[in-house]
Formats: sequence, C-alpha cells, structure tokens
Amino acid sequence: MKFFRVAMAASLLAACAGQTASAATGNVLFNGTITATCTITINSNGTMTVSSNLQSLSSHNAGGSAGSAQVDTTGGVSLSVDPVTTTTVPASDTTATTWTPTFATSGAQTIAETGTATALTVPGTSTVAVNLAGTKSGTNRFSAGNYQATVTLRCE
Amino acid sequence: MRRIAILAAGLIAALSPVAATGQSMTPMRGEVRSFTDAFAVRVFPGNPYNQRIRVEVHVYDQDFQPVAARITPSAFLLAGQASRPVLVVVPFDGANERKVRICTESIPFPSEQTQIRAQICGKFFGHRRF
Repeated sequence: MKFFRVAMAASLLAACAGQTASAATGNVLFNGTITATCTITINSNGTMTVSSNLQSLSSHNAGGSAGSAQVDTTGGVSLSVDPVTTTTVPASDTTATTWTPTFATSGAQTIAETGTATALTVPGTSTVAVNLAGTKSGTNRFSAGNYQATVTLRCE
Repeated sequence: MRRIAILAAGLIAALSPVAATGQSMTPMRGEVRSFTDAFAVRVFPGNPYNQRIRVEVHVYDQDFQPVAARITPSAFLLAGQASRPVLVVVPFDGANERKVRICTESIPFPSEQTQIRAQICGKFFGHRRF
C-alpha cells in the first residue's frame, strides 16, 4: 500500500512536471478626445493719447499703451476683434470718428498686428496686445474731455 | 459704531462683483440632431480668475445677428475658478438645420479708456430629423 502511494505521487509529479503555467494577455485601450478650447484672461486695459495734430487718438501714440490679454488654447480656433460700437465721447466732440481696433500676439503663436480674424493653430499660451486708434479727417479735431471705447476680443 | 461702519464698507467692497473680464467655455463645437422644433445645447462657461465675475451668454447666427434662443440662465455671477452649466434651446424657425454661435461674454473693467470685452464663441450645428 505504501509503495502504491509513493508510485501515485511520483506519477502525478511526473505528469505535472511537463506542464507550463498558462497566462493570457490582453490590451486595454485608452481613448481621449480634446475638442477646441479657448480661455481669454484680460491682463490690462489700454490707454489712448492724442496726437499733436489732434486728429488721432490712439494707443499707438506717445504715452499710450495697448490693452493686454492672455489666450490659452488647444489650437483650432480663431482670434478676432469686433468693430467698435460702444464709445463715450465728450459733449463738445460732435464730429465723426473712425475707430480701428487691431491685435497682435506673441508667445505660443506670433501674429503680426492685424484687424482681421486669424487662426490660432498652435496650442499654448499667447499674449495678445489690443490696440485702438480713433481718427478724424478734414478739419475735424478731438476735443478736451474723456473718451472711452470698448473693444471685443473674440476667440471662436 | 464707526468701526462697524468701516467694517461694513469693507465687507461690501469685498463682496461686490469684480468687473474683471475673462472667459472660457466648453464645448466650443457641437452637432445636435433633434426631432422637435428646437435643439438644445448645454455649455459650461468658466471663470479663470480667482474672484467672481459677471457672465452673460448670448446666441448669434452666422452673421452675428441675435437669435431668439432660450438661455437658462442668460446672466449670472460666476465664482472664481468655477464653471456652471447653461442650457441653450435654439428654435429651428422652420428650417431643417441651423448654425448658431453661442457666446460667453464678460463685463469689462470700468473707468478705463480702452476697455476689452472678452468673448468666447462656440459654433453649433443643429439638424432636424422627422
């Protein structure tokens, strides 16, 4: 009987010795989709100063400063400025003014100063300089008082 | 009494909405199929600042003309670093498809010569199915 048990154990060991441990492998897939995103953060507003001939009120003039904004994007969007529609002028200024908003970017993507919609294709953070120029023609002049205009910076 | 008045003034100043401008909005693209006379889009305006700002949501057509859409809510205060859902229901107005821009706008800084209004617009395309 003892011999029988030993023989059985030995035969079982012999049967298992040739078997390899079986392991299965599988792939786990991960998918991610990033849609176009855009965040605008206004850093500062701009300041316009008048030219010596009193026909230009612009952030480009001496003493003036551009408004500044930061744009964070994945790319695949466009940046633009709207024509200026909201202005406040002194009561003494009764003549027409042509307002021209422009923007330029630096950082992730560089865009030279323009007034037309421009694609932002490079992902990252760009700094936008927003300028505004008001001009009068003929004999018209800017007069003393407070001027204010709103420029819409759009990312779409 | 004077201290209370100063404290109250300070609290009012601290709690008043900050008129800073800055926006984000997701999603910025979308295509919706609808079996009704309108299609709905849920957007999430975000506030990248640390202080709360006032946000307005508007809907425009492709020529930036206002669209009579139902926006809930259309104007609200948004806490710093927060976002919230806004439901926009756009009528087809008899058409089989409609392209609209849903724009999140902010209120510019006051008392500055050249103000900048930030506007994030998403483009959405609604198809009508019968």
